Amino acid sequence: MKRLILAGLALLMTCTLALSQEAPMQDILQDHSALITKSSRMTIAPAIAAISDSGLTQAQDVLQAWQSKDIWQRKSDGLFFRAKETAEGSYILFDFDSGETLGEADKADLKQIKPNSGVRALIGSALVTFQLQDSDPARRLAALTSIERNPSSELLAPLRASIDTETDADLKAKKRRAERLLTIAYDSDESARVAAISDMSGDLGVDLRATLNPLLETRTEVFAGEAPEGLNLARRLAPGEDISTEAAYDLLVTAGLAPARIDQAEIRATLGTHISEQEVGGVALEDLNQPEARARAYAALVAQGLAEPDPTSAEIKAHLDAHQFVEIYNEPSRPVTLAASEALEDILLNVGMNQSLDLILDGLSLASIYFLAAIGLAITFGVMGVINMAHGEFIMMGAYTGYVIQQLIPNHTASILVAIPMAFVVTFAAGVAMERLVIRWLYNRPLETLLATFGISIALQQLAKNIFGTQALPLTSPEWLDGAWVLNDVVSISYIRIAIFILAISFLAIFLFIMRRTRLGLETRAVTQNPRMAASMGINPNRVNMLTFGLGSGIAGVAGVAIGLFAKVTSELGNDYIVQSFMTVVVGGVGNIWGTLAGAAMIGFLQKGIEWFNPSNTLAAQTFMIIFIIIFIQFRPRGIIALKGRAAGD
Amino acid sequence: MSTLLEVSGVSVTFDGFRAINNLSFRIGPAEMRAIIGPNGAGKTTFMDIVTGKTKPDQGRIIWGEKSISLRGMSEARIAREGVGRKFQKPTVFEDQTVHENLLMALRNKRGPFAVLFYKPTAKDLARVEALAEEIGLHDALWRKSGELSHGQKQWLEIGMLLAQEPRLLLVDEPAAGMTPAEREHTTNILVEAAKTRAVVVVEHDMEFVRRLNCKVTVLHEGAVLAEGSLDHVTTNQNVIDVYLGR
Amino acid sequence: MKNSFLMRNPSTLIFLAALAIFTIMVTVLSEAFGLGLISTSFVKTLGKTLCLGLVAIAMDLVWGYAGILSLGHFAFFGLGGYMIGMWLMYERTRDIVISSMSDAPIPPTAEEITDAIGHQIFGVVGSSEFPLIWAFADSLVLQLVLVVLVPGVLAFVFGWLAFRSRVAGVYLSILTQAMTLALSLYLFQNDSGLRGNNGLSGLQNLPGLDAVAQDVVSIWFLWASALALGLGYLLAAWVVSGKFGSVIRGIRDDEARVRFLGYSVESYKLALFTVTACIAGIAGALYYPQAGIINPAEIAPIASIYLAVWVAIGGRGRLYGAVIGAGFVSLVSSWFTGGQAPDISLGFYTIKWVDWWLIVLGLSFVLVTLFAPKGIAGLFDLAGSRKWPNRHGADLGPDAGALREREANE
Repeated sequence: MKRLILAGLALLMTCTLALSQEAPMQDILQDHSALITKSSRMTIAPAIAAISDSGLTQAQDVLQAWQSKDIWQRKSDGLFFRAKETAEGSYILFDFDSGETLGEADKADLKQIKPNSGVRALIGSALVTFQLQDSDPARRLAALTSIERNPSSELLAPLRASIDTETDADLKAKKRRAERLLTIAYDSDESARVAAISDMSGDLGVDLRATLNPLLETRTEVFAGEAPEGLNLARRLAPGEDISTEAAYDLLVTAGLAPARIDQAEIRATLGTHISEQEVGGVALEDLNQPEARARAYAALVAQGLAEPDPTSAEIKAHLDAHQFVEIYNEPSRPVTLAASEALEDILLNVGMNQSLDLILDGLSLASIYFLAAIGLAITFGVMGVINMAHGEFIMMGAYTGYVIQQLIPNHTASILVAIPMAFVVTFAAGVAMERLVIRWLYNRPLETLLATFGISIALQQLAKNIFGTQALPLTSPEWLDGAWVLNDVVSISYIRIAIFILAISFLAIFLFIMRRTRLGLETRAVTQNPRMAASMGINPNRVNMLTFGLGSGIAGVAGVAIGLFAKVTSELGNDYIVQSFMTVVVGGVGNIWGTLAGAAMIGFLQKGIEWFNPSNTLAAQTFMIIFIIIFIQFRPRGIIALKGRAAGD
Repeated sequence: MSTLLEVSGVSVTFDGFRAINNLSFRIGPAEMRAIIGPNGAGKTTFMDIVTGKTKPDQGRIIWGEKSISLRGMSEARIAREGVGRKFQKPTVFEDQTVHENLLMALRNKRGPFAVLFYKPTAKDLARVEALAEEIGLHDALWRKSGELSHGQKQWLEIGMLLAQEPRLLLVDEPAAGMTPAEREHTTNILVEAAKTRAVVVVEHDMEFVRRLNCKVTVLHEGAVLAEGSLDHVTTNQNVIDVYLGR
Repeated sequence: MKNSFLMRNPSTLIFLAALAIFTIMVTVLSEAFGLGLISTSFVKTLGKTLCLGLVAIAMDLVWGYAGILSLGHFAFFGLGGYMIGMWLMYERTRDIVISSMSDAPIPPTAEEITDAIGHQIFGVVGSSEFPLIWAFADSLVLQLVLVVLVPGVLAFVFGWLAFRSRVAGVYLSILTQAMTLALSLYLFQNDSGLRGNNGLSGLQNLPGLDAVAQDVVSIWFLWASALALGLGYLLAAWVVSGKFGSVIRGIRDDEARVRFLGYSVESYKLALFTVTACIAGIAGALYYPQAGIINPAEIAPIASIYLAVWVAIGGRGRLYGAVIGAGFVSLVSSWFTGGQAPDISLGFYTIKWVDWWLIVLGLSFVLVTLFAPKGIAGLFDLAGSRKWPNRHGADLGPDAGALREREANE
């Protein structure tokens, strides 16, 4: 009871307070009360203008509340409030001028102001003015972003007005840019637009191209005789040259300037409706499977007035000659379209150059991937001469090791750091086991090695399917590898690809170090060049072969982790790389790591290059690349970097 | 004396190493010649060049009465021109019988179609029998050549060479790993062959060379060091320095 | 002359007799002509197996005899299937289109029929135009010529390029594998003109023979396959028994030596590669009407690898070995992967053969390579105690044989 009295008291007090104080916003709202309650897009402008031009700090609040349908009118006195629904279903009212709570009111006593979408858009534009000058930079940025996303002519003025007062340099630059773009698109002054276009010329932004392209959109129109003066013509179209005669005539038909042609399906349908006594137009039904019989029957129907005639080619030509076909810019201003097309040409040239740069980066990253996939082979195949068709499965094994580690260690950074050595250990062990059990019995019998390792490849692939299922499993990269290094709107490269590039380079360094600076490298080279001599000098060829093969396999495993990061981990992962890996080694030149590097570069760049010509079809790109390689082998059977003479062997 | 093969100014380089350096050599149509030289003198490379296995960097290789150039021809083409070669290691087709080996080598059309429809004539069969007799393998005619002894394989290979009826025989260390009796036989076969055709023998064994009793060419570092009778070259100071003296 | 050839090669006679008995047995036991003990689908499986035997003979010629480990012969097999499939699908669709159009009041023109066929066949890849490669699809004779010509020309061009530049051994294997991959990737595209990954389907229906039941058709194809296999075997046996066989085995064992004998090794390889590709194409043209469908997955490199597996398990360098290998492994494979094989329960884990068969196959392949290079056919040697030269582990490939090297150093 006591609480109720207190509440009532409070309500009374605030009401008196509100009424007693000055209430400028409420006054404005009351002035335009009729417009606001029965708002429509056509009539509301004065009300919005009155609020936004009032210079009152609360104007923005009012507009926002209005836009989000939070303004309610109290039926008893017609006053407007911002209202908020409580849990019980009643509404708390807030005064606009003081911002204070005015207590609760029942819904029955209130009427919601519901502006329609057109009105809300107008309110939105008015709001932008405030938002662009908001004290909070985040709000200003949000407003700017919304302008960039939905540009319109009425935003131009508020945007311009907000530039001078902008304090944040970054935002200022962005506002300037947005202002230039809006000027190009919407300014009423032709010369201002042209100036803006030339200001921006050469810029690579996608937004600029998105602004310029609509200016150059055209429509095709037909005119009887000459086209009228004063049109912003893009070009005249000569039927048969710039536009096919069929398309030109279809335009005439659509414009109602010529009779439609009758196609075969229509002729057939018309003939079908005029069958009488197994005949149409005097032609027997069974003859109508001949085109000329059909033409005769149809001509007969036309003669009887039962069908529309198909215009002859002479008639079509006459019609076409009598009309002019033109492409007209949707943008009426000639100087603007001229400036825009010039600017766009500059931009496209610039974009083309940057695209080449991007293509080079793409090729580089693909080359690093192939290099990674092939470097293990460069050791087992290139140095030892062992054909390991299960190499791809070692890559797969490394990727699955990464996946398993990631299940055990949830932290992505830590798990990758653990996965790389673990993958090496696992595939090293697998490689050593395979060398001991199978390959060492088959040295000097490469075709049999090839077959036996095929068998292992088939078995390992199926084993992976049995253990991990056929679905692709994710190997997630650490957060700091997400995202991309963006140079401009055209050139960008993801961090993960940069990481793979760095990994490929470090592998190259490790390989060179092992082969040139370590005992193992020396012994490996000795054993591959002359096993008997090496053995007589105290080198154990069995041990060296085992370790070298293990090393090659281990590197394949690490490559698997890297490949798994950007491709999904499946049992077919290795399969996808095995042919390319062998191609890389063969094209580069067997027995030479620089050859492998050159081979990877060639294949990587080539594939990207072919894809660039035909971006929609990566299958075709691979097909053409393989054909190219087959032809390349013709001219350099020993690869790019070939060993000559006796050292190469036969 | 007319010339069957003339090699002049031939050089070949392997990765910067000059295996053959401005080599010139000529041999008549019915002549026996021995080539000697230390290891790495370019003896085998010389044979590789003549038979087309290795392409020379420069120089001319002129063949026969019509003076055609062998440079740029394939190995098979050169073989069909009449150059036969015996390798250092006995290389016969071990999976096939002596008869099949000889029949394959017999001078006949070499094209795939001719071979596919080939049926041995009585003359061919008689020739195979005669050759087998000559190389002492008549009893082994239907055995797989893989079962033969090392010396028998050497002879089989020589027999195959003779079956080819080449005009020039290049023979690489024919006596390696043979017993004295087998050497004797080999010498006889080669001397007999040299009566109707040119024979070039590469050999290390001086005793064997002496028995051949022919002109000797000494190779050193890819070039001809000396040429003449065995007695002549063995007294040559240069030869003694680089080869015999060591 | 034929007689003497057969007499000199008793294994050929035995094989042909066995094949004839097999064919008669299956016919008698089939549903169409006899006791009905063998289901129509199994007759088709047997017919397909005969075709696989034929392509295995081609593989054995090129690999077991000439030492070229081609990983492309199943691609030629698939191409043959595509060529006959084009005619089957075109004619079959034409029949359907004509019968559906016959109800229309106005009889269709030839162009309308062609358009409708195109729409039917290529609708699935969003097109209705006939690509240029279908130009002869309406002619059985021309498509039959293409069955031989297309694989043959592809093999000739590829072989000419590869052999000319002396690509041999494993390099050639890898290159043929690349060729196969390129071909299958190409066919996977929708605009390849062969319906992309949908492939050609409905090939089991013979145009104009709707009245003939499938059980009869299956026997016809069995006969045709057996005839083709018999003729192929005879041809192959004749080729390898003569001097040509001598030369190609020489190429396998020592390519350089054959060259110095004056034989143009490249021509022989090219001829053999091309002819075996044609045989593979014929086998494919008989296989796919029995399978009913062909798609690019059939051409994938793994299929050619399996072909090598069959021949290796059966026994390289022996024609009957290749046929036995293809028949045995493919039938056992389909038994295990078809789900007929009983699962083995180990208590804690149940071995499902569908999952584990490939592992067994892969490992048994390794074991065969290591311990039984003669394959199943090696068992015949034991039974017949036929004497083959002990190669002392020397490879049946153009590599440095261990035996020769050791002897030379002794």
